[in-house]
Amino acid sequence: MQIRDYRSQFWQGVRDLMPLVSGVLPFGLIVGANGVALDMSPELIMGMTVMFFAGSAQLAAMQLIQENAAFVVIVLTTIVINLRFAIYSATFAPLFYPLKKRYRLSFAYILSDQAYGLCIAPDQQQRSDAERISYYLGTALALWVSWVLSVLLGIAVGASIPPEWMLGFTIPLAFLAMLMSTITNRLLLIVAVVSGLAAIFLQGLPYNLGFVLAVVFGVVAGLILPRIAGRSFNSVMGRPHE
Amino acid sequence: MSDLSLWGLFFMCGLATYLIRLSFIQMHGKLGPLLARCQPVLLLLPPAILAALCIPPIVFSKQTDGLQVELAQILAGCVAVVLASYFKSLLWPILGGMSFLWGYRWLIG
Repeated sequence: MQIRDYRSQFWQGVRDLMPLVSGVLPFGLIVGANGVALDMSPELIMGMTVMFFAGSAQLAAMQLIQENAAFVVIVLTTIVINLRFAIYSATFAPLFYPLKKRYRLSFAYILSDQAYGLCIAPDQQQRSDAERISYYLGTALALWVSWVLSVLLGIAVGASIPPEWMLGFTIPLAFLAMLMSTITNRLLLIVAVVSGLAAIFLQGLPYNLGFVLAVVFGVVAGLILPRIAGRSFNSVMGRPHE
Repeated sequence: MSDLSLWGLFFMCGLATYLIRLSFIQMHGKLGPLLARCQPVLLLLPPAILAALCIPPIVFSKQTDGLQVELAQILAGCVAVVLASYFKSLLWPILGGMSFLWGYRWLIG
């Protein structure tokens, strides 16, 4: 395989990522502008962006900081929100594990929802390992650059947004919209309702423990309800039996 | 929180996130059975987390004398829910919810 083929796959990845920028841009703007509204310095917001490189976890951390949540609760929340990366990590493991350590370590950092979504497409699975890695790098690096630039733009714009606009309300709205896209069956709807109601009733607990407990209640409800109904978890979730 | 503790917080969060991303790539094969066992929990986590994150700040606002139920925000949330079921992008539910909130405040105060 020629260098040219690697390059063409890399740029193919960059091109395929471009339509997704329309989803990344408003999200990055909200993160940047809310950071400014929380009185964070631009360096701190960019430092956070580069260290997290995970938009929903960044927004969650910002909201919890606003609510004076405990340090441990914020770290725990970030971990739980980002657990999905473990699934992506497992997906790319066969491809990256044989590589040199420095490549493995740096490729892991740029792993994202969008890169995962593009790279698991069936026509990518049929390509050679080298081509797939080039394509991954194209999508993942393009997303990294567009994410960082979107947050920067948000910081630039955020300073001029008046407080009457209630910009902070964009955070729960963004989570609500994401929530709607994750509810794909009745069990997941019940999980969301249990967790949301529990969060309302447990609001008063210190250190934002109510949030953590609400998540636990939601997940436990999702594990127990299929058993009560006498059905297997996989059939309720509409997944094939293993 | 002070600036220094925020840097510390973000560093810890960033490190944890990186280690999750690296987990299987580094420990290839050794964590497979663990992942299979945790899969139901991993599938249930997104709606549980997102609901616990977004419902309270939509229903209540923090006032100096405690929590207050915010009708305008709840209605704005409903607008966002309707828009989210029609559009895939996050942009429209957020814009629609915010526009409703601004309009409501402008009309009713």
